[in-house]
Amino acid sequence: MECSFALTGKGYVLIAADTTAARSIVKMKADEDKIKSLGPHLLMAYSGEPGDTVQFAEYVERNIRLYQIRNLYPLRPASAASWVRRALADSLRSRSPYSVNLLLGGYDTATHAPSLYWIDYLGTQAEVPFACHGYGSYFALSLLDRYHDPEASLEEGLATLRRCIDEVAKRLVVAPGKYKVKVVDKDGVREIEL
Amino acid sequence: MARRYDSRTTIFSPEGRLYQIEYAMEAISHAGTVLGVLAKDGVVLAAEKKVTGKLLDMSGAKEGGYGGSGEKIFLLNSNVIAGVAGITADANSLVNYARTAAQRHLFTYNEDIPVEMLAQRLCDMKQGYTQYGGLRPFGVSLLYAGYDPHYEFQLYHSDPSGNYSGWKATCIGANNGTAQSLLKQEYKDDITVEEAIGLVLRVMSKTMDSTTLGSEKLEFAVLTLDQNTKRPKAKIYKPAEIDALLQQHDLGKKDDDAEMTGA
Amino acid sequence: MSIMEYNGGSVIAMVGKGCVAIGSDLRLGNQALTVATNFEKVFPVTDRIYLGMSGLATDVATLREQFRFRVNMYQIKEERDIEPEAFAHLVSSTLYERRFGPYFIEPVIGGLWKTQGGEYKPYIAAADLIGCLNFAKDFVVAGTASEKLFGVAEGLWEPDLEPEDLFETISQTLMNGVDRDAYSGWGAIIHIVTPDKVVTRTLKGRMD
Repeated sequence: MECSFALTGKGYVLIAADTTAARSIVKMKADEDKIKSLGPHLLMAYSGEPGDTVQFAEYVERNIRLYQIRNLYPLRPASAASWVRRALADSLRSRSPYSVNLLLGGYDTATHAPSLYWIDYLGTQAEVPFACHGYGSYFALSLLDRYHDPEASLEEGLATLRRCIDEVAKRLVVAPGKYKVKVVDKDGVREIEL
Repeated sequence: MARRYDSRTTIFSPEGRLYQIEYAMEAISHAGTVLGVLAKDGVVLAAEKKVTGKLLDMSGAKEGGYGGSGEKIFLLNSNVIAGVAGITADANSLVNYARTAAQRHLFTYNEDIPVEMLAQRLCDMKQGYTQYGGLRPFGVSLLYAGYDPHYEFQLYHSDPSGNYSGWKATCIGANNGTAQSLLKQEYKDDITVEEAIGLVLRVMSKTMDSTTLGSEKLEFAVLTLDQNTKRPKAKIYKPAEIDALLQQHDLGKKDDDAEMTGA
Repeated sequence: MSIMEYNGGSVIAMVGKGCVAIGSDLRLGNQALTVATNFEKVFPVTDRIYLGMSGLATDVATLREQFRFRVNMYQIKEERDIEPEAFAHLVSSTLYERRFGPYFIEPVIGGLWKTQGGEYKPYIAAADLIGCLNFAKDFVVAGTASEKLFGVAEGLWEPDLEPEDLFETISQTLMNGVDRDAYSGWGAIIHIVTPDKVVTRTLKGRMD
């Protein structure tokens, strides 16, 4: 089953999402990238109803890109998160709501601070030091409560992330096999091998 | 002959001109002067009030929530103030539009609207009125003084055609040519707010028709950054504060001036 | 499972002598799972009015933004602050607009209003999710711990408390109330509104 994790550290946000695309009980794909980069310093992991996820993620991606083209500078992470939240909150009370859960991680080049937003399909938003979506959250959140350090280096952050993934692999019956990990910091967005 | 091409905004003249827009600009060049100077730590705006008279009831302006008389300088959002020159009725409508646009941005993005974007919002509207049939363009030019984290302090000007541009120091309204050349001579880069206030008052006193400056003829505002909160702070001066400021810069009326007593 | 209990959280407001206090817990949950422990449910409206909202967190955020829009436009046009009573009716009519598909929140308002003589008097109010106002003279509560809060407040509150005593009373009420509620807690935030200043304090409680 789908799992995504994210945590902040000293000057960065790490985001991990599983890579399985499933239809009912069948795995259709094992290398699906479910983390989009929405700008030079913004990442978004998405999960939820198949179909809705990609549709909504691309809608967000294109709108955030349009803002950057029109104004020459990108939306700051907090503003991007607010816009996405509103999109989901409006969608919730529409005729066909999107069922998409998101983790938004960004690095604000104006304040030099990393930030992470937990957003669910209802349009609930919280700025948090670490976050998860899916069944993995029942295992990972307590680990992150214990091991998360906002001042941790990237290596230490990755070690904490690995703990979460290993714990989920060990205890969750429907644990996903593979994850993609991305990081955003002052240098921008890049993928990392675990 | 010109009559055939200037009765509607949508029609170009054979020389490729839009007369209605030129007339709108002409209207503005008779309006009260509005002057703006960008400093490294703030922006200063000053405006000349043309509508004055002994019987005009100004009692509201003394207490007013934002300080000014609300005739020429307006707070558009917590990070932007604007000075208007032109037809007051058109200006009021534009100010209201700008305030709504700024709040709409705050509503969607949870941040104050960037200054240039607010200028663009108004210019989109102004441009529309130069093109769609049967409408008259807005007879208003604005100076926007604002702050945002992208470009920090900024000063913009927009005209009735929907053009806008960024400035270090500029002037609109009557005598804007004189003021512009004075500003060009005296402006220097990395000027401070304190120096900019002096510059604005000096230029204003030279360009305005009246011999002495006073709060009944002048509006004044400064946008700076609050040192404690690091958020922009707009201060539109109350009449008494303007008189005090003018005294401080030796530009105010002398004590023996009869008109000043009791103000 | 009720939508009103989906995210958890509680809000309370109390009247004091020439002052009011309003506070909330800090938990944001997904049913029994705690997602965030820094989720404030009380927001400033003016220098002398605060609005607290408990219920569905997405609606808390949406309405907070909507009220901010309406109040800012009111203030920039009127060139004065909105009064608590006018604001309470703005809240009420906004909620009633969605009478047959409501926002799932219960608002609590705490503020000071200026009398003709220029002195400030406390004002509190609460409403249900469709905007039926309740003007109380002592205290108002809302959220998943509301029953417990009623009980504790009934025992602790007394008339004419000074700001510091009111702070102690509201803090004890809120902390002890939410300790008996699994869906609220993780500390609290309290605002004491007096005519010349607002004192905001964050409290730690049982952080579990």
